[in-house]
Amino acid sequence: MKRLYILSLITGSFLLLTGCMKDWLDREPRTILSDEQVWNDPKQITALLANFYDRIPAESGLTDVNNDGADGRLFQWRNMANYDEAMWSGQSNEDGRNNITSYGFGSWYLWNYTYIRDINLALENIEKYGISLPDEAKKQYSAELRFLRALNYFNLVKRMGGVPLVTKQLIYDYSGNVADLQQPRAKESEIYDFIGSEVDAIKDQLGNAGSNSRANKYTALALKSRAMLYAGSIAKYNNLMPVPITTPGGEVGIPADMANAYYQKALDASKEIINSGPYALYRNNPDPGENFYEAVTKKATNREVIFVKDFLYPTRRHWFSYDNIARGIREDNLGSSSVVPSLNLVESFEYLDGSNGALKTRTPDNTDYIYYDNPAAIFANKDARLYGTIIYPGASFKGLTVSIQAGVMVWNGGRNAYDVIEGSDLGTTYSDGRLLTASSGPHRSIMEVSNTGFYIRKFIDPNDKTSTRGIQSDIWWVWFRLGEIYLNAGEAAFELGQTGDALLYINALRERAGFGANSLTTLTIDRIRNERRVELAFEDHRLWDLKRWRIADKVWNGNASSPDAMIYALYPYRVIRPGDVNRDGKYVFVKMIAPRFRAPRFFQLGNYYTAINQAVLNNNPKIIRNPFH
Amino acid sequence: MNKILSSAFIAMLLCMLVTGCKKDNFEKPSSTLSGTVVYNKEAVGVRSNGVQLELWQRGFQLFTKIPVHVGQDGSFSASLFDGNYKLVRLPGNGPWINNTDSIDITVNGNTVVEVPVQPYFIIKNATAAKAGTGVTATFSIERVNASQPLESASLYLAKTNIVDAVNNLGSTTLSADAIGDITGPVTINVTIPAALTGQSFFYVRIGVKTAGVAERIYTQPIKIE
Repeated sequence: MKRLYILSLITGSFLLLTGCMKDWLDREPRTILSDEQVWNDPKQITALLANFYDRIPAESGLTDVNNDGADGRLFQWRNMANYDEAMWSGQSNEDGRNNITSYGFGSWYLWNYTYIRDINLALENIEKYGISLPDEAKKQYSAELRFLRALNYFNLVKRMGGVPLVTKQLIYDYSGNVADLQQPRAKESEIYDFIGSEVDAIKDQLGNAGSNSRANKYTALALKSRAMLYAGSIAKYNNLMPVPITTPGGEVGIPADMANAYYQKALDASKEIINSGPYALYRNNPDPGENFYEAVTKKATNREVIFVKDFLYPTRRHWFSYDNIARGIREDNLGSSSVVPSLNLVESFEYLDGSNGALKTRTPDNTDYIYYDNPAAIFANKDARLYGTIIYPGASFKGLTVSIQAGVMVWNGGRNAYDVIEGSDLGTTYSDGRLLTASSGPHRSIMEVSNTGFYIRKFIDPNDKTSTRGIQSDIWWVWFRLGEIYLNAGEAAFELGQTGDALLYINALRERAGFGANSLTTLTIDRIRNERRVELAFEDHRLWDLKRWRIADKVWNGNASSPDAMIYALYPYRVIRPGDVNRDGKYVFVKMIAPRFRAPRFFQLGNYYTAINQAVLNNNPKIIRNPFH
Repeated sequence: MNKILSSAFIAMLLCMLVTGCKKDNFEKPSSTLSGTVVYNKEAVGVRSNGVQLELWQRGFQLFTKIPVHVGQDGSFSASLFDGNYKLVRLPGNGPWINNTDSIDITVNGNTVVEVPVQPYFIIKNATAAKAGTGVTATFSIERVNASQPLESASLYLAKTNIVDAVNNLGSTTLSADAIGDITGPVTINVTIPAALTGQSFFYVRIGVKTAGVAERIYTQPIKIE
């Protein structure tokens, strides 16, 4: 009896003690954030935005992210070596980039609807749950999300053509019928129109004035400037092809009569940035070559860049400098020289007198070499952007001269010709006690040495030890900068017949590059195309520009005898010819197809629009294939 | 102790060796589908590694195409399981008119099919011969379908019998304007490039390009000695 009493006392007190605990089974999780918590906290929303900014895809970039699947994170610097700006000279297991027999129809694939869904979800949730968020902030975040979505649709449309335009989350109702979730592809022009109208709707709500890593009004306008230019040129040049690439529903191809409207929009957006934006062409350094290099890479007081991906956080720094610095001045014991510029790109930089940029290696009658006093002399009087983009023989970087020499040419009197002697290793000395093959090559076969005789300067970090794996580089990636906006304005104005205005924009850029004032008085589309090539080299433009002008299949025609489809190299040699004071000790240059380069670049008509994966087609029968696939 | 361990080890090893030889549980495909792309019963010459046909088979969970590459002489072959397939002439892929009608194929053992296509142009009476330091080719172009204009005709030279617009050591291209009237015979000259001057023989091929069509139609390679 006593025992029962004690037992019931214990049970009773237990019940009483625990019974007062409220919501024992209904507690807030400590490891999961609720929607209410996220969408009312500016810090949480900013963190989410950081994720969305980080996921903006680029075909090339500065890091090593290579996920073209559903996630769609693309930021792969190695892709710089896939076109005609550069080739691969790094680790030989990536030599496939020099041997792309033809670009696959699946190249440049992107179908990152998870990203679009995440943004759509965020847009809806911020409205639904963000109760205590000030209206102003809500508007700004929504505008920022819509900018990112518009930017992503631009990244999709330039690769795939018209894609399904999904602007709200698609929710499955478990009815067994998914037909209402299957959206057909929008017209190509509709996607571009969507980008234009989104920018117009959000540009005044974006805030972030003065920021170059988050979108502000002018970032949105820069997107519009570029997107409208692409749409205009597709409308114009697609219809100038012998047989335009179209689909009956307009998923691919834009009618020619829409071209002028798009060009006008591109011009208006560009003008708004140039005339009323807080930006100016970077002109802080009196040396035009260094100035151009700083315009892209220098962060302090840089009013040229509009939108960048920065790598300030110590764990976010990247290896681009480690992988691509010139061999002779590398600070690590491995790496370097992976992506090296082609002679094709070097020669597209004009001479300052406006003449063609082809380097003069042979006398006009082609009987003898031209003899230069030093390796850099052949590059004298070139467009200063060459210096700012590329390290050529005799140029300096980080205060060190980059020594580039392939070997020596010894005069053989018996044969009445030169014997070409190249070292089997770098930094070798010839029997006359002087340099044979320089510390930065070029070399025909050694990996991680330039194969073309050039190195990249753009995007390489100038600071001490940044090319080591320990320190790494925090150079930013430039999505948009004012230089491009000038070119967009120039091209759009030219296409609209306003050549006078176009000349103003193009000449402003050329003047900064060391040309005189008003260096051009007439303009052709080829000239504008070349300006884009030299100004925007390595900034992820070349492929898309050739695509929208519909000349990629002509330039990269897969023919080994075509000078544009092959990658060329320039090898400097020191001349040994005792007794001939005009030639002995001078330098000569040999142009050749880069020895490690194998297959010509081959872009087929089916590459203008990337093939849509069969899995996507299987899941959604309303999606039609792109032409030629 | 040692003895026990080693005998256990040997037993394990034996066990692995015995089970390791177990055959794969999938049979490999044993039938072959082969054939030629033809126009008027004649094989159509194309670029090596350029043209593709597609095979599709319904009724299985994995629904994806089986690409079948067409050799430069117009022939193709694929190892398949017996069954019913649909063969698709991929639009915009070969030098012929798009025809999206699929061809039903029943593969049973070794099956041979002809895939009929309608090219825009065909090349007839092609001859080529060495003439001094060059090669001269004469041929006539016959228009089969007038929906697309002629863009150009080219003569390609190569060391091996794989010759086309991508694999060549020298070429000359005559644009449609330069050819003018295509009802008469066309003559193209090409200078033999340095890489071929020392060769005892090499191959040439004539290709004709239709405007707006990526691939050219080719003759069979002609050996030049």
